[in-house]
Amino acid sequence: MILLDYHNVILQDTLSARFESEKPESLDMTIVDFDGVLYHLSTPESKTKIQVSFKWGCFSELINYGANDILQREYSDMLVSPPQDGFDATLALDLESLPQDKDARDAIIRKISLIKRNILAAPFERAFKEQEQLEDEKQANPTPELMAVHYREDEAIYVKASQDRVTVIFSTRFKDETDRVFGKVFLQEFVDARKRQDLQNAPPVHFSTREPPLELRHLDLKDSEEMSYITFVLFPRHFASLDVREETISRIQIFRDYLHYHIKCAKAYMHTRMRARVRDFLKVLNRAKPENANVEKKTATGRTFRRS
Amino acid sequence: MSSLPVVVMDNGTGYTKLGFSGNSEPSYVFPTAISTHESPSASGAPSVASKPSYLSSNLASKRGIEDLDFYIGNEALASSKTMAVHNPIRHGQIENWDHMERFWEQSIFKYLRCEPEDHHFMLTEPPLNPPENREMTAEIMFETFNVQGLYIAVQAVLALAASWTSKKVNEQTLTGTVIDSGAGVTHVIPVAEGYVIGSSIKSIPIAGRDISKYVQQLLRERGETGIPPEDSLFVAESIKEQYSYVCPDIVKEFKKYDQEPDKYFKKYEGIHSVTGKVGATKLDYIYPGGIFAKLDFFLKPYSVDVGFERFLAPEIFFNPEIASSDFLTPLPEVVDNVIQSSPIDTRRGLYKNIVLSGGSTMYKDFDKRLQRDIKRTVDYRVKASEDLSGGVMKAKPIEVNVISHKKQRHAVWFGGSLLASTPEFYSYCHTKAEYDEYGPSICRHNRVFGSVM
Amino acid sequence: MFRATFRVAIDVMPSTKFKPPTPAGHTTIPYTRHHAADPNEEDIIDEALNLFRANCLFRNFEIKGHADRVLIYLILFISECLGKLSKSPTPGEAVKQLSTLAVSNFAIPGDATFPLNAMYSPPRDRSQQDQLRQYIQQLRNEMAIRLVDRVYVDGKPSKWWMCFQKRKFMGLSL
Repeated sequence: MILLDYHNVILQDTLSARFESEKPESLDMTIVDFDGVLYHLSTPESKTKIQVSFKWGCFSELINYGANDILQREYSDMLVSPPQDGFDATLALDLESLPQDKDARDAIIRKISLIKRNILAAPFERAFKEQEQLEDEKQANPTPELMAVHYREDEAIYVKASQDRVTVIFSTRFKDETDRVFGKVFLQEFVDARKRQDLQNAPPVHFSTREPPLELRHLDLKDSEEMSYITFVLFPRHFASLDVREETISRIQIFRDYLHYHIKCAKAYMHTRMRARVRDFLKVLNRAKPENANVEKKTATGRTFRRS
Repeated sequence: MSSLPVVVMDNGTGYTKLGFSGNSEPSYVFPTAISTHESPSASGAPSVASKPSYLSSNLASKRGIEDLDFYIGNEALASSKTMAVHNPIRHGQIENWDHMERFWEQSIFKYLRCEPEDHHFMLTEPPLNPPENREMTAEIMFETFNVQGLYIAVQAVLALAASWTSKKVNEQTLTGTVIDSGAGVTHVIPVAEGYVIGSSIKSIPIAGRDISKYVQQLLRERGETGIPPEDSLFVAESIKEQYSYVCPDIVKEFKKYDQEPDKYFKKYEGIHSVTGKVGATKLDYIYPGGIFAKLDFFLKPYSVDVGFERFLAPEIFFNPEIASSDFLTPLPEVVDNVIQSSPIDTRRGLYKNIVLSGGSTMYKDFDKRLQRDIKRTVDYRVKASEDLSGGVMKAKPIEVNVISHKKQRHAVWFGGSLLASTPEFYSYCHTKAEYDEYGPSICRHNRVFGSVM
Repeated sequence: MFRATFRVAIDVMPSTKFKPPTPAGHTTIPYTRHHAADPNEEDIIDEALNLFRANCLFRNFEIKGHADRVLIYLILFISECLGKLSKSPTPGEAVKQLSTLAVSNFAIPGDATFPLNAMYSPPRDRSQQDQLRQYIQQLRNEMAIRLVDRVYVDGKPSKWWMCFQKRKFMGLSL
C-alpha cells in the first residue's frame, strides 16, 4: 500500500453493510479520520434513518473559503440544518427511500465517505478559479488572498493563486527528533525524484526546514526546529480538465498523512532490517562457542590418545 | 486533540478486532493474517544481503518498495494464491514482530485512518504474556508510531469488565472465572481483583474450528451428497452458526426429533458456485471469510438436511469424548478443577462470576447447561462434606453463576472500549514522555483498574 | 467420584428397565414382549433402541449393573443390523435379512470369538450355556423385528438412523 485512500473506509463499510442488510439495526458509532476529523453515525429517530455528523477544527475557516457551496452542491438533498449539536455538518439518509440500482447506491456511499475530502477541496477550487480569472485579462482582477487552513493544531495548508500558478504550502511539525531526520531525507528524495525525465510534468516541489518560505514571511510564523515547509507549485495543466483537477485536489490533500505514514513505514522497515541483522550476528556468535573439550578423539583403528 | 477517542486493538490468534473507544462494536474484525511476497519458508524478514551493503554495488535494488507491498486481513487471504500468507500471532502471543509491525501499520493507516500521534492506544495481551513481549510492543508503539499513550490490558480482565453490561451482574467486580473460546482454543482463566491467577489457568483443545469439523464429519457420515466438496467446511460452519444450540439431555433430545420431526429438522439452502463455466452470470460473491468479489459464476442451488448436529455440535464441550479421543474432560469439570486449584479465599468469588467470552460460547443455552453442571458438582461436594461431619456442620451454599451477555462475541474488545472511555483511563496509561524518560521497561507493569465505573 | 455423578446424569444412560435375576449377569427367563406383563411398558429392547443413538457416540461406558451388559450387547447388535440395511432393502426383505442374521451362527460369552469376553463372565456349565444362547437368540429375534419398525420410514431406512451405522460404540463391533 503506497498511497492512502481518499475516502474513509469505515464509513464506506458501515454504510454498505447497512444498505445491504435486510433488517435495519440501530447505530451509534464514533469514528475518526486523519487530522482530527470526528464522525458520528447514529439513528436518532428510527432504525432506518441514518445520520452522519461531521466535525473538524478548521471547519469555520473552510466555510470562509466556500465549503458551504460544496456541501450544497454535493450533498444538497441529504444536508440537515441545523447540524447535530456539537458537530459542523450533518447528513441524513433514509434507508427506505434509497435508489434500487446498485451503482446509484454505491455512488451515495462513495460520496458520503469522501466528505472530508470534499470539504477540504474548497480552498483549492477557489484558488483554481481565481487563477483562471487572473489569466483571463478581460476580467477584473481579483486580489487573491492567501488562504490558510489550520487543519491540525500547529500545522496548516496555505493556498494562493497567482497569474500562472497556484501555490500550495504545507507546514508540518515533527515532534520526534528521529522523525525530523527521516522527514528531511524523505523530502529531499521527493525533490530529487522530480528531476527524473519521466516526472517532468509533476508539480515542482520545494522544501525547507525551520524557515518559512517567502510567501509566508509576512505571516510572522514562529521559527522552530520542528517545523518543515513543503511547497508545491501547480500549473494550469494540473487543474485544467475536470478529472485531473479532482485527482490533483485529492492527492495534494492527503500529502501530509502520506508523508507521516511513510516515515512510519520507513522506521518499521529499519526495524525489520535491524532485527534481521541481530539474528545474523547471533548466529555468528553461536558459532563461536568453545568446543566440548572432553570428547574422546579416536584414531581410525579405534585407539585413543590420552594426554598425561 | 486529546478529545479524540482511544484506539482499541485486540489482536487475537485468529481474528483482530479494531475500533475506537466508546463504541459498542469493533469497526473491523478480520483475520490476523498478513500476505507478503517473501517465500513462506523465510524467517519473515526481507533477506539481508549476504555481503555487507557497502560491498554490494547494486544499490538500485535496495530502493524498492517491497516492504509496502503487502495485505492484511481478508485481503491477505484473498491474495493467498499469489502471495505467502503468514500469521504473526501464534497461541495468543506475537511471534513475528516484523509482520506484526507492518500489520499494525496498515491497521492504523488504512483501516482506522488515524494519525497515531494524536491518539492513546489500548492493546490486549494473553494471560502469562512474557514482559519482554510487552516491552517489544511498547517499543514499536512509541518509537515507530509515536503514540501519545499506551495501555496493555490482559484479555481476561477486559472480558470481565465487558460482563458488567449484563443484567445478572449487580456489582462491578474484577474477580471471576473467564471462559474464553474463540476459533482455535478455549481458555479457562481465574481472575482475582484484576490479577490473573496464572498457575490455575487451563486450556482445552476444543473450540470453534473443532466444532465446525465435527459438524462436517457428521454431515459426511450421513452422506449429505448435495454439498460440493470445496464448500463442505463452509457449509458446516454456517450450519453451526445458524442452527446450533445446547440441549439439556441428548437422549431426550433424540426423542424430541423423533416425535416432532417438522419442528426440529431444518434445511440449509446453499448455492454452489463454479467459476468460469459457460452461461456464467456476473455476481457479487462473498467468500467464506467475507470478501466481496465480482466473479463469473455458474450457479447451482443445493439443500442440506440439518438434524442432530444442531445439538451434537456444542455437545462436544460437555462430552468431548464424542468427537475426540485424546481430550476427554468435560468443560464444567475443567472449570471446577480450575476454581478448586485457585487460592481458597477466592473460590466463592470465582464460582459466583463465571463469565463467557468469544464466539464459541454463543450457543443458545450454553450458560444454562454450564451453570447446571457446575452447580451439580459443587452441591455434591458440599453435601459430601456435610455428610462427613455427621450432619453437625452446615455449609453456606455456594453461589454458581454463569453470565452470558449481549456483547459476548467481542467481549474482550468491548471491555477495552468500555474501560478506555472512562476518564481514569488516561491516568492509567503510560505516556510518550514517560517512555522517553524511562524506556520500554515502564510497560512491564500496567496498573489494574479499580472498580472505576 | 464427581466425574461419576456427571456421567450418570448426562452421559451414557445405563439401563434402568431390566433387573436380571442371576448374579452372573445372565438371565434364564426367556424374554419377549409377549411375556411381559404390560405390552405397552418399555422393555430392554425399547430402551436399547432409545439409547442407541446417544450411546453409540461414546467410546467409554461404565458398567453399573448387570442390565448394562445386556444393553451393550443390544447396542452392538443394532449397529450390526444397520450395517445390513445399508443397501436399503424393502421392509419385507429387511425383516427377512435381519431375521436370518438373528438366527445365524453367533458367539456367546465364553466363545473364543465373542468380542466382549473381558466384560462378561463365561457360563459355568453346559446347561447354563444353552440357556444363555437361547436367551440371546430371543433378544436378537425381537430386536430384528422392532428395529425395522423403528428405522423404516416411507419404505426405506431413515437416514437419521443410518448415519449412525459407522459409529462404533466403545470402539467395538460384533
